[in-house]
Amino acid sequence: MSGTDIAFFLLALAAIAGGVTMLQLTNVVHMVIALVMTFLGIAGLYVLLSAEFVAVVQVLIYSGAITIIMLFAIMLTRHHADDKERQTTGGVWHRAVAAISVLAFGLAVYFGIRRLDFGADGSALAADNAREIGKWLYSYYTIPFEIVSVILLVALIGAIVLAKKDGKGAEDK
Amino acid sequence: MEQWLESAPGWTNVAVFFGLGALLLLVVLGFVTYAILAERKVMGFMQGRIGPNQVGGRLGLLQTVADVLKLLLKEDTIPKAADRPLYVLAPIIAFTPSFMVLAALPFTDAFRFADIGVGLLYYIAVSGLTTIGVVTGGWASNNKYALLGGMRAAAQMISYEIPLVMSALGVVLLAGSMNLVDIVTAQDNVWFIFAQPLAFLIFFIAAVAELNRVPFDLPEAESELVSGFHVEYSGFRWAFFMLAEYVYLFAMAALITILFLGGWHPVAFLGWIPGSVWFALKFCAIVYVLIWFRATFPRVRADQLMEFAWKVLLPLSLVNIVLTAVIKSLFF
Repeated sequence: MSGTDIAFFLLALAAIAGGVTMLQLTNVVHMVIALVMTFLGIAGLYVLLSAEFVAVVQVLIYSGAITIIMLFAIMLTRHHADDKERQTTGGVWHRAVAAISVLAFGLAVYFGIRRLDFGADGSALAADNAREIGKWLYSYYTIPFEIVSVILLVALIGAIVLAKKDGKGAEDK
Repeated sequence: MEQWLESAPGWTNVAVFFGLGALLLLVVLGFVTYAILAERKVMGFMQGRIGPNQVGGRLGLLQTVADVLKLLLKEDTIPKAADRPLYVLAPIIAFTPSFMVLAALPFTDAFRFADIGVGLLYYIAVSGLTTIGVVTGGWASNNKYALLGGMRAAAQMISYEIPLVMSALGVVLLAGSMNLVDIVTAQDNVWFIFAQPLAFLIFFIAAVAELNRVPFDLPEAESELVSGFHVEYSGFRWAFFMLAEYVYLFAMAALITILFLGGWHPVAFLGWIPGSVWFALKFCAIVYVLIWFRATFPRVRADQLMEFAWKVLLPLSLVNIVLTAVIKSLFF
């Protein structure tokens, strides 16, 4: 077992543990912190794959920005973050069906990726990550890139329009 | 250190880098101790006071050491209504990233801990994690002032991160790389503060805001929020928040030196002075200016703070990117 394997298992464990903890916790803010652990574990896995740019962006966008926005939304909207009334619903049958479907999904993924062939080795791309991504993005995928930015703009304006509707009283001031 | 960075990984490597990391931690702690003293002395000088002059001789050289000792011996209080696990975890989440970012900073061409291709982005990304610690700390304290301070910190850090990155993009465009070592190498002839004066201004202002220092110290505004997100903290947990803040002061001053002041490059014809001395000199100049800001500026209002980031700094940094792109394609 090489150092990479150990690192992989530790990071994968961190990612999965974060996810499972998030499902188990009842407090929404605690859940977000567990989610950060998952995001960081995944970022570590990207580093192991020599995709440092993707890893850093993962930390920047998911662990940084999105988490903060979620925390903001939770803190501004809910006074009782604790969800004590939550009970497991459904009987034995529900749980059995859930367990079987989880197992089936796991098996499907396992058989799906077991013989997966990624084609040529991409380690040449790892040397100068950000530059290579930029080159590909702007030489072969310019139009999708532009469309994504237009979609983001539409979402931004949509959010402003939706938020404005609520604050009629504020406008009059 | 170059050969250690490039050699095959093994236990010796781990031991060497662990030792060097521990050494850097001690250096940074020493810096923090004397930065606090320097801050109090300089501010005292600017306000016509003497500053600390009792503990450790006439200059008060042991004042901060005594303060830290007091903090460590202080009773550690956790409010009854606080969210205990998060309350304990928050100072750790806030401090750890502040030390992690130091790994990416090249202090001289020989003394550096990593050679990351996306070093600049790494700094920005990891430093953003501290915000989570601050917000969690503010929320877990279960105190309205702490919560307000935490919210302000989050809003401010997210808003000012954008002009910070956008202004640094001008530097990245000119250097053609996000690797901090390459950025310093690209300043061989002319420092980026002269090639990118607008970017430097924006970056400096946004950096002050990221550091939560006056005039942008709204998250810790002692006169309106008691003391902001760490109002319920005491003893060594509070010390951790303060430590994180001053380690970021160290990191940010080093980053500004690297990005705009040419890192370890000497001023013309003074090349016989070693690079580490040059780095230290530029670094100290930045720290001094930051302390100077603190002693002379009034605090801005929360709405002014947000408007300034989004309506002034962001458009200016976008203009700077376009200008830099045009200049680069015409003259380089």
